[in-house]
Order: sequence, then structure tokens, then C-alpha cells
Amino acid sequence: MNFNFINLQPYSNPQYFIYLLIALIPMIIGLYNGKRFKTYEAIFSLVFIFLIFDGDHWQQGINIILYLIYEFVITFAYLKYRTKKKSPNKTWVFYLAVILAILPLTAVKILTAMPVGTVPFVVGFLGLSYITFKNVQVIMETRDGAIKEIEPGTYARFLLFFPTISSGPIDRYRRFKKDFDKAPSREDYITDMQYAVRYLFQGFLYKFIIGWFFGTYCLPKIAKAALLVGNSVGGLKLSWWVLAYMYCYSMYLFFDFAGYSLFAVSISYFMGIHTPMNFNKPFISKNIKDFWNRWHMTLSFWFRDYIYMRFTFFAMKKKLFKSRIRLSQVSYFLLFLIMGFWHGLTWYYIVYGIFHATAICINDAWLRFKRKHKKQIPRNKFTEWFAIFLTFNVVCFSFLIFSGFLSQLWFGWK
Amino acid sequence: MDTKTEVLDILNNLTGEDLSENMDSNLFEDGLLDSMASVQMLLSLQEKFGIDVPVSEFNRDEWDTPNKIVAKVESLENE
Amino acid sequence: MNNKRRLWQIFGPVICAVILLIVVFLIPWERTFSNKAIYEAANSQNTTVFKGVKMKQEAFKRNYVPFYGSSELSRFDPLHPSILAEKYHRNYRPFLLGGAGSQSLAQFVGMQGTSKQLRDKKAVVIISPQWFTKQGQNPQAFDLYYSPLQTAMFLLKANAKSKADRYAAQRIAAMPTVKNGIIKSCLKKVARGQKLSDWDRFLLEQRQRMLVNEDNFFSTFQLRNRVNKICQKAKLLPNTYSKSALRKVADEQAAMHTNSNNLGIDNTFYRTRLPKKVLKKLKGSQKHFDYVKSPEYADFQLLLTQFAKQHTNVLFIIPPINAKWAKYTGLSQKMYQESVAKIENQLTNQGFENIADLSKDGGKKYFMEDTIHLGWNGWLAVDDAVKPFMATPNRRCNYDLSNYYFSKKWQNKKNVKPLNLSNKEALKDK
Repeated sequence: MNFNFINLQPYSNPQYFIYLLIALIPMIIGLYNGKRFKTYEAIFSLVFIFLIFDGDHWQQGINIILYLIYEFVITFAYLKYRTKKKSPNKTWVFYLAVILAILPLTAVKILTAMPVGTVPFVVGFLGLSYITFKNVQVIMETRDGAIKEIEPGTYARFLLFFPTISSGPIDRYRRFKKDFDKAPSREDYITDMQYAVRYLFQGFLYKFIIGWFFGTYCLPKIAKAALLVGNSVGGLKLSWWVLAYMYCYSMYLFFDFAGYSLFAVSISYFMGIHTPMNFNKPFISKNIKDFWNRWHMTLSFWFRDYIYMRFTFFAMKKKLFKSRIRLSQVSYFLLFLIMGFWHGLTWYYIVYGIFHATAICINDAWLRFKRKHKKQIPRNKFTEWFAIFLTFNVVCFSFLIFSGFLSQLWFGWK
Repeated sequence: MDTKTEVLDILNNLTGEDLSENMDSNLFEDGLLDSMASVQMLLSLQEKFGIDVPVSEFNRDEWDTPNKIVAKVESLENE
Repeated sequence: MNNKRRLWQIFGPVICAVILLIVVFLIPWERTFSNKAIYEAANSQNTTVFKGVKMKQEAFKRNYVPFYGSSELSRFDPLHPSILAEKYHRNYRPFLLGGAGSQSLAQFVGMQGTSKQLRDKKAVVIISPQWFTKQGQNPQAFDLYYSPLQTAMFLLKANAKSKADRYAAQRIAAMPTVKNGIIKSCLKKVARGQKLSDWDRFLLEQRQRMLVNEDNFFSTFQLRNRVNKICQKAKLLPNTYSKSALRKVADEQAAMHTNSNNLGIDNTFYRTRLPKKVLKKLKGSQKHFDYVKSPEYADFQLLLTQFAKQHTNVLFIIPPINAKWAKYTGLSQKMYQESVAKIENQLTNQGFENIADLSKDGGKKYFMEDTIHLGWNGWLAVDDAVKPFMATPNRRCNYDLSNYYFSKKWQNKKNVKPLNLSNKEALKDK
């Protein structure tokens, strides 16, 4: 075999899992015997990361190295500033650190939105935004004094933790370090492996069977039909096919991403690291707020803890808003707009953000109304099911926006 | 007033409910507290007890029942 | 519970599943297909069928004849070759192979695995000059038609000394679809003229075994069923075969289906594929199209090599472009004819003399179904060539191939003299 050109994208095909599981065996034996082979783990991770960024992807490989050096300088400079005796803890220094930390991500988002051909070099790398999340989180906790020291080695492993490098779940440094510093007891590790195997096979079912069925088998056919009928009816180009696309895409999105996340969690568990779960049956959510506690959880919790709560805390302390309701609405719009921009600088991601912010504000208004009129509003099995049904449809509609299919239908580009 | 009564007072203000009978009910799962309300709670606790809880240290699992909140406040007061 | 037992409970089922999977994929399975399944497959133009082997092998053992082509094959009006063959109980049934974007290279890969079944038999090729673009085989379309199974079959039979095999390996390996692995590394070896090692062959054989089983299991999956469509359209045809009666049906049907525009384009196609904005953009847009210089000529030579190996008797059909459409888009008929002349030279110089050249008929009434695809009267013209061709008995055909047609020189050659195909004697002299 020709090793020069082997390039493996995470979890993309069955061979990948075979290579991965074989490489994991020494680590598994070590952990079973209560030992964490940190050096082997590092080499193993570097090899698999190298395989993501070699061959045709070498420019991304250079980008990730430059990025890491840059972020290390910022993080440790800020840590030094915060831990020196009588640190002044100036707000502007904190802002500067955060802005510098998200600068590469912002630049990449802008550059990739430029017309094709205007940027002469490869920008970004697979997983850039997820590493940025981890990094910003560490800076914020350093500011709060929750993190007082960072071990460079552990920190590098945390940022580059290879099972989650490409698209999360987003772990937290302090949680990661706790797992990483010890080897689990034999009983606990066997339980870990039990979950790991279950998640792995659940992931196969989700991503390669159900996700494939919706995404590869059905979706292109539905898209074709929707475009064909749409172009012939004119106007808004709507048809039942668009509705079919909406449901099919939503199912695909969930099973594909949940499947991927299960792989990431499964491999983490084999390595004795309890990477948090990303999904918790999102389609049985009772309302939009509930949905965001179940969908892409590590991302929404990140946004909750590091943007929403911080912003509201700050605004309340400074009494920027008279009414608590107004404040929560402003914060929601801020949060979801940032999330929209983070997905990419196109109209449909931003509309997706605005849509969810609006939905969650309406939901809040309804909850307030419900609390006031507790006695008059019926509450039974039927209303519960209705709430789930309604939420499901609102969510699916938001995914239709998110998919960019409307852009393709109306303007011919995505 | 003791800590417990004051905490319950704050919670009553936030949720509009008297929780003295439900000291172990999960406030987040019951929809009584959300992120917004918890921020408000942290601020009120700060005013009342002079304890400083950075958002980083606010772990939902440690603050999700009235009993846990009381315990948290007491431990932070004694620091 | 002790730890060993727990471990066994966790990994036991996994080990069993892996063993089962290996067994299922590596033991040779045999299966047969019903006539109905094959008939459906033959008319489905499904990529799974295109990429598979078993279904085609079974079909060619029966009375199916491959019709290699591209998107025109999906123009199922009542005069479509499949419908005519069904209605008049001909002694053959077309097996449609190809769709949008299946150019010579994809077709060449698709032909691997059926050489035994097509030995000394017949085949029809609808060869469109539109394939002969500057780029040749479109890589995205190749992705749709690429079959690792048939590539493995090609490799196991490839001869590293043969210019054709080396060229084919190099072309396939250059397609972005072909990802790393044993197939790619073997393609590269063959392209460099190296012999495959025993270990390579062993790995390839295992891979092939898995792919063969996959093909056996899944080839009837997700077929597009056009049988009802064929029956319905066949009802529109006269019960006894008569050229003039068929012509009448063709004219009537075409008149009815193209009355929304004056370009002679099928109404549905016109409405859905050419809304005003698109139509406007396309005006004069093809002025600079050039089908004369193209790597496709060398890829096409691969097809011919394959036919020569199989001694297959081949009928080539060269379709025209809708003349009104060509005028609208500015496509040069002169350039088109030049590419036709080049194709015909390549064919006749090597002994492929069954050619139905329809390339000048794009202006005939109701000849085309839409912009570049044969329809109604065009299909009847195809039948005029296919019917007598199928009536001749099967025989072994020998061809005289030249590696010159793989060369860059030929790919880029201009001003090839047009031929007079009606003068068979003159062709022989060349």
C-alpha cells in the first residue's frame, strides 16, 4: 500500500474504524490495568491528526500549527497577567484577549464568504471553530479566577483531543483535566467500554443507515422534484415537495450529526475520557427552550454559559435595561445572531438565528401568560402531545431555512 | 432571618411560588428557573449575602434544588 | 458479576457480528434474477445497475443487447427503442446503460465484467459529440458512475505492457472519486507499467469478492420501475409494424408535446428546464464550444479496444443537435461536423463500419425531443438502423486497432476530412 497519500477524514468510512480500533488496543489494555499511557496516547493522537491534515490537506495542516502557536501565546499571556500578584484584572485586557482569540475564526468566516477565487490561499482547517470555543472558554474562566493554572501539555491535548477535533462535542478544560489526570478503576472502565460499544453501534445505525437513508437516498430525489415543480409553478416556487424536503432534511441532519457525535463520545470513552453527550432526544422537546437543552447540547450550553449568562449578568449589574423581559429578549437575539454568524455569513444562517430568537421570545411570552392563567389553561396528555408536535414543526421549519435549500430554490445558489 | 428563609424569599420573588414545601424539587426541570432567572438569583444572593459567584462556577447540577442552593450559600458564606 | 464475564457480554456480540460480516462478504454467493427484475433493470438506467455486474451478465446471457449511451436514453416517448422492441416482439430487448454525464471513460469501466457474455455478440452505442469537450469525462458525473468492482475486475485482467490498459489506469486514477486504497495504488502501478505483485492481486481479489457480494445482494435495490410507462406508451402504437403508421404517431405525439414553443422542445422540458431567465442566459452562449480537441477521443478509443477484445459487433449512432436550438445558442454546426468526421475516421480506420450518422438531421421535423436529445422521428431513424442490424446473425468481428488514437496528437488533431459513409468500397480501401 502507498502510505504517502493516505488521508483519513474522521469517521468517514468503515476502514477508518478498523484502523482506529486497532490503534486503540494498547490504550484499552493499559486503562483496563489502571494505567494511562500518556505518551502512547499523544503519539496515537498526533498520527491520526496528521492523517487528517496530510496529502491534499497539507495547507490546513500548516494553518492548524500556526493557529495553535498563536492561541498558546494569547492564553498563557493572559493567564500570566491574571495570576500575577495583585492582578489589576482590567476589563479591557480581558476583552482584548477574547477578541484576539476569536480573530482567526472571524477572519476565516469572512474570507470563506468572499467570492470563489478572490482568496489565493487555503484558509482555516477542519475543526477551527470547535477549537476556538474551547480556547475562549479557558480565557473566560481564567478571567473569573476559576482556572488558576494551565498545564501546557494537558492544554494542548485538550484542544487537540482527536476524537472530537473535527466537530465536537465541545468539552470543558476543567472537566477534561479531571478525567485525564487519572486512570479509571477497572469496574468503572468496564462500564465505560460498555457505553463506548453501545454508542459506537448506535452511531453506525444513526449515521450510516438512517442518516444515509434520509440524506443520500431520499434527499437528492426530493430536492430534484422540488426544484423541477418549483421552477414550473413560478412565484415563491413552493410545493409539497418543499415540505417533504423540510422533514427529510431535518431527519438527516439529526441522524447524521447525532451519529457522528456518538462516534466521538464512544472513542472518548474507550480512552477513558467522558466527553459530554451532544443530543438528548431533541424531537420530543415540549418547547423551543427545551429543544435547545436537547439539541447540540455542548454548543448551546457553551452559548448559554459564555454568552447569554455573562451578558445578562453584566447588563443586570449595570442596570442597562429596566425590564427583565426586555433584557432576556435582547440577550436571545444577541445569542442567536452570534450563533447564526458563526454558522456562516449567508442570509439563511442569519435568518435561522433570528427565527430561533423570535421563537424563543414568543415561547417565553407564552410561558408567562400560562403562569398567570394557570387555572384557565387545560393541561393534559393531548396538550402535551400538541406542544411536542408544534415544537417539532417549528424546529423542522428552522432547519429548512438552515439547509439553504430555499436559497437554491429561489436564487439558484447555496 | 436565617439563610434558608432568605433564600426562599429570593426564590419566591423569582418564580412566584412558595417552595418551602418542595425543598428537593428540581427547579430547572420544572421550568421554574432558567438561565435568566439564575443570573438574577446570583445577583440577589450577591446583594443579600455578599457572596461572589462567578458564572464559571455556576454549575447547574449544584444549584438545581432549594436545598442545594441553601447549602451552597451557607458554604460560601463560611468561606 | 466478575469482570471477565462483563467483558464477554460487552465484546462477545461485537466479535460475533464481525465474524458474521466477514463470512457473509467473503463466501461466494450465487443468485439468479427473475425475468421481471431484469426487465425492470434494463429500462431503469439506474446507477446501481450501471455499476454492477451480475445483473448485466444475466441479461446478456438472455436476449438483451446493451445500448450504451447517455441522457437521450431516458427520452421515453412511444418511439423509444425499448418500447418498439416490446411492442413488436423483436428478438432482442435493449439494456439501457448510461445517463446524463456517462461519457466514454465511465462507459469503459462499466463494460468490465461482461466481456464473456458479449463475446461475438452485438451492441449499440449512441455516441454524442457533446461528450468530446475540452475536459473530457466530467469528474462529478464520473463519481456517479464509478464502480470499484468493475475497476478491480479491470485491474485483475490488466496487462502492464498494453498501452490501452496503461492509459485507462492513468485516466481512472486521475479521477478525484477514486480514493486511496488498494484500487488506487494498483491503478497507479499499472499506469506506470509495473506488474502487480501477488500480494496486490490477493488484496484485490478479496476486495473484489466483497464487492461482488455487495452487487449480488443489492443490485435489485431501488430500481426505477418504468414497466408501466412502457406498457402505456406501447398502446399508442399501431398493432402491426408499419413505417408510415409509426411516422404518423410520431408526428401527432410530437406536435402535441412541443406546442408551447417554437424551438421544437418538449413542453415539460421547456417549462422546467428553460424558464425565461435561463433561456435568456443561454442565447449565444455556446458560440465557443469546441468538440474537436478533446481527451475524450482517447477515452473513446478505450471503448473500441474493449469491443475489439470481445469481438463484439457494434452499431454506432451519431445523433444531431436540435438545429433551431443550435442556432439559438450559437453552437457551430461546422465544428460539430468536424468532430463527427473525426469520430467517423477513428471508427472506420479501425474497422468499425456500422455507423448510422444522423448528425445532419437536427433540422428535420420532430426529430429531436428537446435541445440535444433524440425523440419521436429521431428514434424512428435509430430504429431504421437498429432493426436490420439486429436481424443479421451474430458473428465474430475482428478489428484492427492502432495506439495512435491514444496520442495527444490525435486528441488535438484538427481538420480531419469528412467521410462518405455510403461508399463502403472506398472505406475498405483506406
